[in-house]
Amino acid sequence: MSEVLDLADAGAVHVATPAPSFLFRLGAALVVLSLVLMVVGPWITPYDPNRPTFEISEPPPALTAIPGLLWRVITGAPHDPIHWFGTDSSGLDVFSRVVAAPRTDVAIAVGANVVSLILGSLLGLLAGFARPWIAGTVMRISDLIQAFPVFITGMILVTFAGRSNMTIVLTLAFLYTPIYVRLTRAEVLSQRTRGFVDAARVLGKPEGFIALRHVLPNALAPSLIQASVTIGFAILMTAGLSFVGAGVRPPTPEWGLMIAASANELIQGEWWSSLFPGLAISLTVFGYAAFGNGLERIYDR
Amino acid sequence: MLNFIARRLVVAMFQLVGLVLVVFFAIRMLPADPVARLVGMNSTPEAYRMSQQALGLDKPMLEQLRSYIAGVATGDFGRSWVSGAPVMEDIRNVLPVTIELITISFILAFLISVPLGMLCALRPGGVADTATFTYSLFAGSQPEFWWGLLFIYIFFAMLGWAPPPLGRLDPMSTPPASISGFITVDSLLAGNIAAFRDGLHHLMLPVATKVFVLSGPIIKMVRQNMVRVLGADYVLYARASGLPPWRVALIALKNALVPALTLLGVLYGYILGGAVLIETVFSLGGIGQYAVRSVLAFDYPAIQAVVLVIAAISLFVYLALDVIHAWIDPRLAS
Repeated sequence: MSEVLDLADAGAVHVATPAPSFLFRLGAALVVLSLVLMVVGPWITPYDPNRPTFEISEPPPALTAIPGLLWRVITGAPHDPIHWFGTDSSGLDVFSRVVAAPRTDVAIAVGANVVSLILGSLLGLLAGFARPWIAGTVMRISDLIQAFPVFITGMILVTFAGRSNMTIVLTLAFLYTPIYVRLTRAEVLSQRTRGFVDAARVLGKPEGFIALRHVLPNALAPSLIQASVTIGFAILMTAGLSFVGAGVRPPTPEWGLMIAASANELIQGEWWSSLFPGLAISLTVFGYAAFGNGLERIYDR
Repeated sequence: MLNFIARRLVVAMFQLVGLVLVVFFAIRMLPADPVARLVGMNSTPEAYRMSQQALGLDKPMLEQLRSYIAGVATGDFGRSWVSGAPVMEDIRNVLPVTIELITISFILAFLISVPLGMLCALRPGGVADTATFTYSLFAGSQPEFWWGLLFIYIFFAMLGWAPPPLGRLDPMSTPPASISGFITVDSLLAGNIAAFRDGLHHLMLPVATKVFVLSGPIIKMVRQNMVRVLGADYVLYARASGLPPWRVALIALKNALVPALTLLGVLYGYILGGAVLIETVFSLGGIGQYAVRSVLAFDYPAIQAVVLVIAAISLFVYLALDVIHAWIDPRLAS
């Protein structure tokens, strides 16, 4: 009997979502890679990301030369210094900077989402549990923050508060908190009438204890799934802010800054110093989106 | 219905006032010092004080707020500290550029995304669905400024199809007289076909970038709504009545797009505020670039006006689409 059920289950899963599981795995791999680089990135770069080398605007090795170079690196044969992604117009090694950047980009995005997730879920819990006027106030403030034009408000707050990693984290956290307030509140409202809440109440547990201990853990799933997508958007925003000059300060290795710094050289044919950081943003954010989408499907099922 | 609109208008007004107040106090309370930026670091204290007085920043904050509100009430949003021109005049020049860009992009993205989203929904889990859905997930998570640069490299630097990314029109051409402010509309009104073509030519790459990025969320939205609607009883009935699949799809599409209106409104407001990046890449000189310039120069009156105008337009579009939504589906208004 159970075998039949299992088969039916497996079949249904297989028909409904063949591709997302691949997308999900790809996303998960990219997310893990970005998190690993966030921690170890600056330690494993072949060159110092902030010290110019002697080769200026050197293109990356041709595709046909890569196997030979790799062989030399592996066998330890003598070779000229290799710049896998070339060097930019100040002679900085692009590969090293791309690898070192998650320490800024991903760390800011994750930090901002951790702060707003904690703040947002607590406020959402409050809005779902407290007296109507408190809940109303929380929701109206959320509405107000969500009416702000996100990017421009981000530019204003970061520039005026002094452009540093911390101000970007706090600004993004401020802008993203309402998302989590909304998600948590909706979930709290559907959870608070469930049997286990009544059971706890019958046992005489205080209301605050029920909210934090029983309802909150059960109301977090949508927010955690959303966090994956929002981390991706936070990376886009961090890079975008520094691209227009309202984010991280140069010469920090940061993807958006790297693209901004080499945008002019691009037209003269120096494509490599902006292609690779952009590719890094593109793949990372796509990874978080795919991962979040996969989580969403698993949770819905 | 009127009641519904009135209620929404009141809420929107409150949001606007709240927004203006938050921005007003935020830029004054955060540590940035516009006076020091204007007079320079090595100025004498007298020069600093004089400049502070000229900008009105020596008065208490509530006093400043009072005179600001008095100005806004009479339609005077102050003069830009950088250009010296009235802020509203500046904005009247830059806003049409942005509106033109994002409206064209929005319509094109919508026209491309609806059939793709339907294609996905007709056979969920099929090959077409998987491919399109992956594409939409990818497109929806891309750095548009980088794609803009990439397009410039390919279509301008390599192929020479696109004009240089240096504004809305060729610098050598004469722009049409400004009537609506939209280059495409004005040039047609003036019968200036050359300027019209030049304007479209310069819009080619920014619009392509924007459409690419926008198509992601719209496809996802259409697909979701279509899948939901296709499961409804009346679709089953239509199928059972023997209607051809495309007629069934059209019936479903109508019902799938109505709830999407609200989301479209939110999206429009979102990209209006997010036009900063694409305008910077292509030097289009719209409100996004104006915002960057104002923020980096600590130009208080300009910043306040930009936020107010963008938020007001977003809220208005949002409200208008909600009203249309409620008009099509009266259950909402009650």
